[in-house]
Amino acid sequence: MSSSAASISSAPVAPALAGSSLPLGIGLAGLAVAAAGFFVDGPQAAAAGWLTAIVFWVGIAVGMLFLIMLGYIFDAGWSVVLRRQVEHVVSVFQWLAILFLPLLLLSWFYQPDLLWRWMNPDFDFASVGGHGTVATDILYAKKSGFLSMSGFTLRAVAYFGIWIGLAALFRRNSFSQDADGDPKWTLSSRKWAAAGLALTAVTSTFAAIDWVKSLEYHWFSTMYGVWYFSHGMRGALSVLALIAIIGLARGTFTGVVNRTHLYDVGKLMLAFTVFWAYITFSQYFLIWNANIPEETFWYNLREAGQWKWVGMVILFGHFLLPFLVLLSYKVKVVPKALAAIAIWILGTSLLDVCYNVLPFRKDALGEPLPFLNLQLVWTLAAVVGMGGICVWSYLRSFPTAKLIPIRDPRIQESLSHRE
Amino acid sequence: MSEQIHGYLAAFDTPADIMHAAEQVRDAGFQRWDVHTPFPVHGMDSAMGLKRSRVQSVTLLGGITGFTVGMSMVWFMNAFDYPLIVGGKPLFSPLFAFPVAYELTILFAAFGTLGGMFLFNRLPMHYHPVMKAVTWPRATDDRFFIAIDAEDPQFDADRTREFLQEIGGKDIAALEP
Repeated sequence: MSSSAASISSAPVAPALAGSSLPLGIGLAGLAVAAAGFFVDGPQAAAAGWLTAIVFWVGIAVGMLFLIMLGYIFDAGWSVVLRRQVEHVVSVFQWLAILFLPLLLLSWFYQPDLLWRWMNPDFDFASVGGHGTVATDILYAKKSGFLSMSGFTLRAVAYFGIWIGLAALFRRNSFSQDADGDPKWTLSSRKWAAAGLALTAVTSTFAAIDWVKSLEYHWFSTMYGVWYFSHGMRGALSVLALIAIIGLARGTFTGVVNRTHLYDVGKLMLAFTVFWAYITFSQYFLIWNANIPEETFWYNLREAGQWKWVGMVILFGHFLLPFLVLLSYKVKVVPKALAAIAIWILGTSLLDVCYNVLPFRKDALGEPLPFLNLQLVWTLAAVVGMGGICVWSYLRSFPTAKLIPIRDPRIQESLSHRE
Repeated sequence: MSEQIHGYLAAFDTPADIMHAAEQVRDAGFQRWDVHTPFPVHGMDSAMGLKRSRVQSVTLLGGITGFTVGMSMVWFMNAFDYPLIVGGKPLFSPLFAFPVAYELTILFAAFGTLGGMFLFNRLPMHYHPVMKAVTWPRATDDRFFIAIDAEDPQFDADRTREFLQEIGGKDIAALEP
């Protein structure tokens, strides 16, 4: 079996678009369109779209990092053949860090309240239907120890630093093991997974608080980091399912990935669909039940106008439909069906991120700008653009290592994984 | 057939042997037979040609029952039988009924799974003819067994014994009913 593994990986069929500059082209074009929104629709519309895309893709990349570490910490056998693809995906963090930079620079040097209003002490809430300024706001005063420009910047650097570092570490360990087969790499990864899980949990939680929750800094929700984690895991599993299915369709994974691997990824997709619903419902339910104005206003904004319907589509489209569909065994093992639901989940995930980010933009009466608005164009352009960059980064990493970790101690178990 | 027997029990020494033997019994078209191993052997389901379990349909039924019971129970108690306003909330809302309905969904789905399992695997079974075979106790230790039932349409006292020998079965024993 191990000899067949070696022969399979020595001549991998390149993935679609390998060596093509198409993803990079699409990525740069998307980013250019998203940046054009800066001049066409105003800086805030473009920046909000850019932030939505960053939050969407960083969540998925963090989910991928979690997948690697969960595999090591549980000493999982089944996932080893798929882990190499995840390792290729986590090469995206450095590019996402660069893509995050414009938001920081705009906040520092262009207009501090462009996205995060608390960055400008003189911001007048009258412009968004409130009253007073940030500096005179008791809720800001109480939180100013955490919400400061320098703190925000340092934390952003720390988040990306930790993610890039962990991604590089797991990639090095896994790729080095291909060459020498030394189990010390697995042991090192397992130790780092223990520390990395805690570090990534903390950094992704604070990233969600800094980047999304602080858009409405009056708001409280202790569930927020967990919501971001569930978003990331659902996205990461959907992307992983798509990578596996595309690889199977092209013959890249013939004899390596079987239906049981797909079944397991599908099971996790179902589990995290329920998990996401649990988290999202709990957040809503606690706020609905307590009925405190500082908390309910966040949902009131999202029940105004079109956002109410976006919320309904998320409830039924992001939870109920994937839940019912993924309950079925057939859907999880028939590649086309699993691919369809994975694409669907990625779409509704994006809607979920839009729902969390975009309604902070309000008119002078305090009503959120409608969902179907020119800003959606910049948002979608930024999502496609950053997606293109991520695909390009994945394809750039793909030829640098074997198709599967051929000398992982658990590779045998993973290759012969059956129900 | 001179004497009435329940079937044959054949022993195998390794998981690989039993796996290949099971595949051959499956391909020979036997219907009423079983494999006994000291531990779960992965891949045995497909080697035996078993269809997917039907337990999940009972699980789903249990889950739907639990959800309905939870929702209607909260509605009945809070909005119908003893209408009571708590914390300025409506008499009934699916929101506060949801945690109860959710927990009952899980509870009843678990009951459905447990009950469905007993329904389909016909446990508890206090006696089975294989237990009388002298080789049998090692099925809980280090040996692997295939038992072919005499009620199988293909069963033939001589040819089935020969078949079991051909596929590598050892210590083949006729089982008393």
